[in-house]
Amino acid sequence: MNRRDEIRETLRGLPLAKAPDSQWGSIEREFAKPQPRRWRLAWMAWASAATIVIVAIGAVVYWRASLGVIQTDASSTARIAIGNIGTVELEPNTRVRMEVSKPNEQRLRLEHGEIRANVSAPPRLFFVDTPASTAVDLGCAYSMKTDKAGDGMLRVTLGWVSLEWAGRESLVPAHAMCRTRPKIGPGTPYFEDASPGLSDALAKFDFESGGVVDLGVVLSEARVRDTLTLWHLLSRTEGAERERVFDRIVELTSLPYGVTREKALSLDATTLKHWKEELAWKW
Amino acid sequence: MVIGLNEPTPIDQIVESCRRGEADGFRVLYEAYKDKVYSIALYFFHGDQAAASDASQQVFLKLMRGISKFRGESGFATWLYRMVVNTCMDSARREKPRLPVEMGGMRTPAGQEDVIAEGERAQSIQAALSELPPKLRVAVLLRYFEDLSYEEMAQAMGCSMGTVASRLNRGHKLLKKKLEGMQ
Repeated sequence: MNRRDEIRETLRGLPLAKAPDSQWGSIEREFAKPQPRRWRLAWMAWASAATIVIVAIGAVVYWRASLGVIQTDASSTARIAIGNIGTVELEPNTRVRMEVSKPNEQRLRLEHGEIRANVSAPPRLFFVDTPASTAVDLGCAYSMKTDKAGDGMLRVTLGWVSLEWAGRESLVPAHAMCRTRPKIGPGTPYFEDASPGLSDALAKFDFESGGVVDLGVVLSEARVRDTLTLWHLLSRTEGAERERVFDRIVELTSLPYGVTREKALSLDATTLKHWKEELAWKW
Repeated sequence: MVIGLNEPTPIDQIVESCRRGEADGFRVLYEAYKDKVYSIALYFFHGDQAAASDASQQVFLKLMRGISKFRGESGFATWLYRMVVNTCMDSARREKPRLPVEMGGMRTPAGQEDVIAEGERAQSIQAALSELPPKLRVAVLLRYFEDLSYEEMAQAMGCSMGTVASRLNRGHKLLKKKLEGMQ
């Protein structure tokens, strides 16, 4: 076990402290007391409400102006402010529709073309729907491209994006990309610098009923960093194929503490999540 | 009773009863989360039991007064952890840095030499942890003590997943450096 693992395991093993027995009584007593300086709190609430109204009016005007469709032609680009969490730039020949603009949800629909989003916010506030999937922002910068047939490509430049469709999910970190197809959803993510052989075989595996041969190419071409791709393939393969994927990951990186072959192959959610987050140090 | 982050429906039902104003629900929530909340605060405040107890009380008071604001967009535990993070960070901002306090009143593994060595190692790590800047300390605690995912941490800490990863990375490097300095 290296030093980093040792620190993690020790932290995981820190004992749970017992809250003092008298604590609940104190909470109850405090809760029963009238809240102090109500006038001040009320004033503060009024002031913040006023601020919100002013901001909201600005937002309504802005969004009213832009509600519906924004389309760029071959020689134009556009830039949209997404509340106060970031911006979206529309490349030429792009069409987007504003679907939702609420404090807890900002949602665009990319009908075709390419957008570049730059968002700094807690996860799952900003969504981009495309004909083939939804890009869920986890705090990041990325580009999303989709053609008129609905075939799309996500490239992440910073942070993470989750590409989702009908229960299928691909988690894409910085410098990785992921294809998406209508009625199939997101493919398997891979790094930009993965070998062309891996990328081509992955496309066949994901979207052209590729099988053992294509999987074999992916496995043989995979580097340590490509465990991003292999980790996703665990849940997209079965039986002997899943075992081959597992064995290749273990060959490339050692099995972290807490992950067992049995649990990984049975797709135990906690094990896979833990393994992903350990592997992510190498992505 | 200790309830994990991904505990299914019962907590949702209890939360719903609290939102309807049923007072017993708060006690059940308190019992379910009191040790977790207290432990995070205790490790955050360098083992200072009074500070940890004070922070825990504030968290549960905020919970009781603000349950109507919980709209279920994130999990209840994530919402609660966000209050824990905010309360601890607010207290850390208000107070001057303190010296680490000997951890008292906690279960420590009983037994043989290797267990004692393990206990000593844990103490060194706790001491190093208590010297981390608050933002890094809370990230390390949520990740490894509470076992939250990056996404849950980002929601609890009100930042992006990239920021979470960066704080964890910095936290690791600093912990490593401090531990090397202790040897």
